Amino acid sequence: MRRSAGRDTRAAVLFLGPLFLFLGLFILLPVVGTIATSLYRDISFVDREFILFDNYLRLLGDDSFWRSVRFTLFFIVCSVPLELAIGLGLALFLNQPMPGRWFFRAAILIPWAIPAAISARAWQLIYNFHYGLANYLIVVSGLSESPVNWLGSSLGAFIALVAADAWKTAPFVAIIFLAGLQAIPDELHEQGRIDRASFFQRFRNITFPLLRPVLVVALLFRTIDGLRVFDLIYVLTGGGPAGSTNSLSLLGYRYFLAGDFGHGAAVSVALFVISLVLSIAYARMARFGGISY
Amino acid sequence: MRLTAKLLLPLLMAAFICGCSGTDSGTLTLAIGGAPDEIAYWERLISRFELDNDIEVNILRQPTDTDQRRQGLLIALKSGQADPDVFLMDVAWLAQFAASNWLEALDSMLESGSVSEAAFFERILNRADRYRNQLVAFPVYVDGGVLYYRTDLLAAHGFKSPPETWAELVETSRAIQEKERKNNPYFYGYLWQGAQYEGLVCNFLEVAASGGGGIIEKENRILVASPENIRAAKLMKDFIHKYEISPPSTYTEMKEEETRLFFQRGQALFERNWPYAWLLHQQEESAVKGVVGIATLPHFEGGRSVSTLGGWHIGLSRFSDRKDDARTLIKFILSYETQKALALNLGWTPGRRDVYRDSLVLASLPHLADLAEAFENALPRPNFPYYTQISEILQRHLNAILSGESEAERALGAAEREINEMAGRYRDTP
Repeated sequence: MRRSAGRDTRAAVLFLGPLFLFLGLFILLPVVGTIATSLYRDISFVDREFILFDNYLRLLGDDSFWRSVRFTLFFIVCSVPLELAIGLGLALFLNQPMPGRWFFRAAILIPWAIPAAISARAWQLIYNFHYGLANYLIVVSGLSESPVNWLGSSLGAFIALVAADAWKTAPFVAIIFLAGLQAIPDELHEQGRIDRASFFQRFRNITFPLLRPVLVVALLFRTIDGLRVFDLIYVLTGGGPAGSTNSLSLLGYRYFLAGDFGHGAAVSVALFVISLVLSIAYARMARFGGISY
Repeated sequence: MRLTAKLLLPLLMAAFICGCSGTDSGTLTLAIGGAPDEIAYWERLISRFELDNDIEVNILRQPTDTDQRRQGLLIALKSGQADPDVFLMDVAWLAQFAASNWLEALDSMLESGSVSEAAFFERILNRADRYRNQLVAFPVYVDGGVLYYRTDLLAAHGFKSPPETWAELVETSRAIQEKERKNNPYFYGYLWQGAQYEGLVCNFLEVAASGGGGIIEKENRILVASPENIRAAKLMKDFIHKYEISPPSTYTEMKEEETRLFFQRGQALFERNWPYAWLLHQQEESAVKGVVGIATLPHFEGGRSVSTLGGWHIGLSRFSDRKDDARTLIKFILSYETQKALALNLGWTPGRRDVYRDSLVLASLPHLADLAEAFENALPRPNFPYYTQISEILQRHLNAILSGESEAERALGAAEREINEMAGRYRDTP
């Protein structure tokens, strides 16, 4: 008995060791390094100096930082619920028995499989003022008399980014939901049908409660991903117009390019803290939901 | 035991690979970026150099994107890597790289006579490549803003020559645009770069300086909101909103390539762009082949024409472990023959002044004669190590002016405040 316990421990160490080594080397070390850098005045053309929280204090007094925080939070507040709603709709649709279901299931993944920079380029063509599809459609359909300069106003650029992000990531959410849907036993729905519950009633009382744990997973993934949005914005708007779509990761990158590593690191740490707070909030939400799967 | 070996083997291999790759000091490394065909040509050039000098050169291929090229060099230099030894830098980063003490002084190359100072544009060498009295780079590829115009349309509508002043440009554009739009509703008078990026600042500096404006430092304060600069920003906004000679997409999507393609489809009368567009406008599939002229940019009444200096400059890393070989390579790249070859084969506008007088070069690239004049007066961007941040702030506020979101006086005033606040932070060295 004792012997086998010792062997278990050894096996556990062997199995987990590489993972911990990997996490430590590639995740923990960079995080700690970034936090350390953020405590220095680390500018390539000025003497390096330990300044404790000066970078953060400057950040708190910096309008462009707060603009980026507002934009980034507003971006996830708008895009994540939209993506979850579309994803849920797609998942419910794909869960219905129908001919050619395998085809739809595969096809729906295409936007998710395209690299963000490439889909951003495609959306840039769609929003193009002169020959873009978006302007063609609204003019032909009579919604607007003249073409709209989509990326030319803060609001337009914001909507354009949310739409492009939703298009790309809703399929990912759909796949997660689809897995959740398939884990719901058919008997429950059958029971509901016997009790003459309508489709909507069954959705509210059976499907939705049982999907909640999956919902939290999707919410968490999309929120963290949305917080660090970079490639889509870098290509589609470059942070414009007038800096209105400068996400936090874009802001940090700009400081890095300019040789101000300390300040850039402080922006990254701020982003890290926001992600951490939201992750913890979600984790609690999931636990208090009282559903044990 | 076997389990341990299986788990550890990949890790050991990974560690081995990591350990081996970092310490390659045997060869000279040259970082070159650009389009695939440009890099391919550089490879041919360098292999000739390798044969002639018995120096092995490893070419580090960089992408075309300026930011990514900068990022690649930044990481290596920040960590004091020996490679790359020699690299090309955008003129806009020179001050930052030099102030960071990443560049080896190259004055000795002039003193030893291996490169002749007289061969270069004096102004560019002194104002862009010199930082605090040290020569830190040489121009390999010189760039400056120029005005492209449609010779056929000017002639058809009775104009003899391209505009000298901004007022003439507006007048000509409006007259021709009105007539051309009868057949071509999306025809525009004047295209330039107004998206929120470095190019916008280049365009602004040209318009501002052509009326006596600019960004200057006086008693430790950087001045931006001068009347001349406000006038320039207003004019740029008016091109779009008042005179409507530039498309509304100017401030959202117009970068160099967007402008070039728009013009190349035959949809515009004037275009502000860099010299690279010349050869592309003359391609077979271009709708404007043979009907494009090139001129210096217009100026304000009483001002003079100004081009923002762009281009790529070659430098030597202070951390290089092959500095002598590196200087030989730089000498080769700056030689008359190499500069001529780059002009003839890639259309690169040479860093050397004397190549612009070469009869063979002029025969195949006649526009170089006009360009040399523009480059003599090229205006380098403000020479601050934190120029990138100045530019970031300016881009944001200029873009807001162009989109009509804020007034020129207010936006430039705000830009000036932000810039000085930022600069204070980078100046207070203990």
